[in-house]
Amino acid sequence: MNKFARDKERVEVNNEPVVQLRGVTKRIGFKTIIDRISFDVPRGEVFGLLGPNGAGKTTTIRMMVGLMSITEGEIIIEGRSIRTHFEQAIRRVGAIVENPEMYKFLSGYRNLVHFARMTPGVSEARIREVISLVGLENRIDEKVRTYSLGMRQRLGVAQALLHKPSLLILDEPTNGLDPAGIRELRDHLRRLAREEGISVIVSSHLLSEMELMCDRIAVMQTGKLIDVRHIGEFVKEEGAAKVLFEIEPGQLAEAERTIRAAAIEAQASPDPSVSGGLLVTVERERIADVNAALVSAGIRVSGIRPVTKSLEDKFLEITGRDSIA
Amino acid sequence: MLNLVRNENMKIYCRIRTWVLVAMLILFCFLVSFISRYDKMSSGNPHREWRPELQQQAQSLQQQLSGDEKLPAPIHKQLQERLAITKYQLEHDIPPTEATMWGGVQRVSALVMMVTLFTVIAAADVVAAEFTWGTIKLLLIRPATRAKILLSKYISTMLFALFLLVVLFASSVLINGVIYSFSGWSAPSLTTDAGGAVKEGVLVFNVLAAYGLKVVELIMVVTLAFMISSVFRSSVLAVGLSLFLMLLSQPITMLLISLNPDVGKYFLFANTDLTPYLAGRPLAEGMTLGFSITVLAVYFIIFNALSWLVFTRRDVAA
Repeated sequence: MNKFARDKERVEVNNEPVVQLRGVTKRIGFKTIIDRISFDVPRGEVFGLLGPNGAGKTTTIRMMVGLMSITEGEIIIEGRSIRTHFEQAIRRVGAIVENPEMYKFLSGYRNLVHFARMTPGVSEARIREVISLVGLENRIDEKVRTYSLGMRQRLGVAQALLHKPSLLILDEPTNGLDPAGIRELRDHLRRLAREEGISVIVSSHLLSEMELMCDRIAVMQTGKLIDVRHIGEFVKEEGAAKVLFEIEPGQLAEAERTIRAAAIEAQASPDPSVSGGLLVTVERERIADVNAALVSAGIRVSGIRPVTKSLEDKFLEITGRDSIA
Repeated sequence: MLNLVRNENMKIYCRIRTWVLVAMLILFCFLVSFISRYDKMSSGNPHREWRPELQQQAQSLQQQLSGDEKLPAPIHKQLQERLAITKYQLEHDIPPTEATMWGGVQRVSALVMMVTLFTVIAAADVVAAEFTWGTIKLLLIRPATRAKILLSKYISTMLFALFLLVVLFASSVLINGVIYSFSGWSAPSLTTDAGGAVKEGVLVFNVLAAYGLKVVELIMVVTLAFMISSVFRSSVLAVGLSLFLMLLSQPITMLLISLNPDVGKYFLFANTDLTPYLAGRPLAEGMTLGFSITVLAVYFIIFNALSWLVFTRRDVAA
């Protein structure tokens, strides 16, 4: 193949999604573990798989990397089927499935050499580059046995990036990490997606984490894909805004009366969780009018803040609270 | 493929356990060599004066042959051969093999069984441990098919066996060389041809042949352990079951042969020892060298096919 043809092919490949799932189903015996899941992940996107334990996130990921067979449907990575062209498809994938388990009796460096040898074209310079990328230069020649969980996680990311994948799959990457480690991983993933155009698929049941990490989130429950949305859509308020007025606790009843008396379409009720908190649902443009009415009635307003529905609320709304089937 | 084997080798030789096993093998080689030498010394011949011993032996053989008793033909022939060799040794100043370093090396070749044992331990871990450690998940998501990964593991296991055999041979030559002050380094092995004439052979070949015969069992037991390791993903079961069968192979074989030789002769361990064929005494009727080799080949193919079938198809869920 000449260079022109190869470049042309690359352009074509670049236009299509990095990953395509088409009606992916997994059955074990008569039990359907994963039921006809389909979604695409475009280049450079951080995609979240969200769901309670047992929803099928890990099974889906295991099928994507060929650890589990696919009963029905197709998974295409960079235009190649993971089923029929495993070697070409998996070459573009870096992954950590559950915990990043390494050979404890080998040094970090030897672990990386081990995995580098399994993919053609990973040079020693690349290994060094990845080590400094994850900041393990000082400890890389020590045995993995001596590493903390955070360091193992970094080594896990390093092995996943060795062969410059275009898709990075991380299963529950924040499990067992301390808040600083989670933050570090999050920044790292966002940078990879932004700067190197790597698509990232992350699974988690930690909703707050997904909110900060992902561009798009798919919600899974009992083996089905319930919803795929952009992160903004999840937390966008429909219609009226909800705001919390902080006032003197003794003035709550008076404040409620004042708002009702004012010619503003607003609903007010005391917030049971905040002392002196008054929840007001009102059109965004009328928040100032509500405040004016309160102040002129002699109520001391010490703060006004918007109450956004968190992803967590939204998630529980979608999946229901009795979620483990 | 070469890289995969290098990886597997790295995982074997970077473990302390491996070197403990190697050290144990050398230690046992040392002990067996010394004990067998000490035994020779305590048996009334402290200076290893082999000439009077051989002269005595020749005399008694002569007496037996010229005795009044009518000996059965095969025994008569055997005694005559032994007498011819003894005389040849005395004439050409060749010490008996047992009194040379090669005799020591040959005695130590019984330790090939330990090589089998240690290789079984390695084979039991080579697949199962990846599952126990959880590293199988990182191993199988590379651009290498499962079949290639399994094959690289099998090859590295067999290379480990080869490595242990070389260690055993080299250390037994060295240790016995020192014990026997390298006496009989170039001593020939003596056999008689059909006409009763004595022929000289190379002694090292005899020792290597002893190794070779024992390696048959090694390959079969290790392949069995490898199969159990990849089918059941349990190192303990792989070590336990294959060693149990190997150590009890003789009584089990005898029991099966005595109960029903037509079925018993297909038992794996009825065929792993090929020495009866060299001596012309097969275990049961209808057993020939060709038969045993065929049975071994069938077992070998079944074991490896099972490993391959299960390893390449099974979902990795743990």
